Amino acid sequence: MINKNKIKRNWKIFWLFSKFALKTTFQTRWGVAFFIGGKLMRFFFLLGFLFLVFSKTKSLYGYSFQEAAIFFMTFNLIDNAAQFLFREVYRFRPLITSGGFDLVLIKPYHPFLRILLGGVDYMDLLTLVLYLLITLYFAFQLPYLSFINLLLYLLLLTNGLIIATAFHVIVLALGILITSVDHTIMIYRDITSIGRFPLDIYREPIRFVFTFVFPIALMMNLPAQVLIGKFNWELVVVAIVFAFGLLGFSMLLWKKAVKHYQSWGG
Amino acid sequence: MISVKNLTKTYLVHKKQNNLLKDIFFRQYKKVVALDDISFDIRDNELVGFIGPNGAGKTTTLKILSGILYPTSGNINILGYIPFSKNPEFLKQIAFVAGQRNQLIWDLPASDSFKLNQEIYEINEQEYKKNVADLAEILNCLKMIDKPVKTLSLGERMKMELIAALLHRPKLVFLDEPTIGLDLFSQQNIRHFLKTYQQKYQATIILTSHYMEDVKALAKRVIIINHGKIIYNDQLKNIIEKYSSEKIIKITLDDNCDEKNLTLKEKPFFYSFPEIIYKVDKKTLPEKIKMITETLPFSDLTVEDKPIEEVIKEMFRKS
Repeated sequence: MINKNKIKRNWKIFWLFSKFALKTTFQTRWGVAFFIGGKLMRFFFLLGFLFLVFSKTKSLYGYSFQEAAIFFMTFNLIDNAAQFLFREVYRFRPLITSGGFDLVLIKPYHPFLRILLGGVDYMDLLTLVLYLLITLYFAFQLPYLSFINLLLYLLLLTNGLIIATAFHVIVLALGILITSVDHTIMIYRDITSIGRFPLDIYREPIRFVFTFVFPIALMMNLPAQVLIGKFNWELVVVAIVFAFGLLGFSMLLWKKAVKHYQSWGG
Repeated sequence: MISVKNLTKTYLVHKKQNNLLKDIFFRQYKKVVALDDISFDIRDNELVGFIGPNGAGKTTTLKILSGILYPTSGNINILGYIPFSKNPEFLKQIAFVAGQRNQLIWDLPASDSFKLNQEIYEINEQEYKKNVADLAEILNCLKMIDKPVKTLSLGERMKMELIAALLHRPKLVFLDEPTIGLDLFSQQNIRHFLKTYQQKYQATIILTSHYMEDVKALAKRVIIINHGKIIYNDQLKNIIEKYSSEKIIKITLDDNCDEKNLTLKEKPFFYSFPEIIYKVDKKTLPEKIKMITETLPFSDLTVEDKPIEEVIKEMFRKS
């Protein structure tokens, strides 16, 4: 049975962590300006690159400009939402090497409230809203957009976020087991960045690898394919099963890691 | 309150092979025993000092008792809970304060971290305000609460850490080197606070410290640990009686005494005119005092116990 009081309490703690993360962020206002400026510059540069490609060709492996833009925006939505929620993961290594994680483990809440969700980055929320608006702009330009596809798109965006959550939990577990966070999170970022564009542009076995080994296609591409109506139902089921399977695996790895935690820096 | 039976903890440590390639590709590990089958009990409202050299196993014990580390084997029961199961009801009754660890949000005032702990430990507003005021009063630090943590000195920060950790009035407090790095004045303040806190709130406290002054000022009972084994578990005052076979005789020679004519019948432990110090066997104390009073012209004579630090050092050497 769902314990309403527990959810309410966890929500309050999450809210306070987020509030204090925001207060901390605004200690350096110039830092905020440079961060947002840099992010927007990279985003518009890549969108401009897409424009440039389509000024020379009418389609990209059968996809129109609007469709390719949906792929690009879907990647940005999931990637940005993961950064918005899980920014604290990037700061996990110092917590481990300094032994500060000890003080997280003795608190009467799930450690994920602090180390996974404890540093919500509101600067990413600004870009997330912008990306959402641009996605809707491109989506409503599609000639065949349906309500069902839009609903399924939201479902698979959530599914993509579940896969992203599982990856971040794996990064945290590896942070404990091998004290390496920076490298693993960068590997995750580099691999997921392949999902900016339709994976159909790659040949086999690359497509297979990025569908079933590193599930970038299921995470980033499938929602876009659903929105533009070019998908198969089997893959949707596979994506949902895969997401929950990966989440289960990540939780098992996390439990193992906590059991093997050696508490460094003391 | 605390029952520990046959607790053992081994760490897996990378074994250096003096060969970079082997260390990277064929890494070997060895087991290091941090705690070796230790057992002890601690009653309610006790303040027990854990003493031991670096690497003896003090902090590991505290971390296992608080549920941070998973024990390799043994049984632990604290307040009716098994620590590593991390039952929230257990965690709400304990606190862990470490001199080298920081739970406060660095860029923000300590009051923000207190607010967070209020929510985490589900303290109602009235109780929260009272607890902050009480603790800040004992520590004399009410003005510091609203200053960003990064602007506080180490001593001031430690006071804030203590408030944050004790805000929920834990029944059991683990203190791992709470005075490390502090100046003498701050050390004294923290000791005074801990003593007052324990008396006022009837908390059970387990303290580790390298400063014997902390232990002497606070703990009646000590557990001495070395190489992962308990070598002493009793009242602090009994250590000297049980383990020191020597007494110290300190003599200040008479100002009129001519150093050139002085003949020292017994070889002193220390001599720098006009001060002489003898270390003598307890059994021969009356005989030695007689000899000294008959042969040396002195203005002052005192008999003292060997310093407790010396006795403990000797215990470490023997164990």
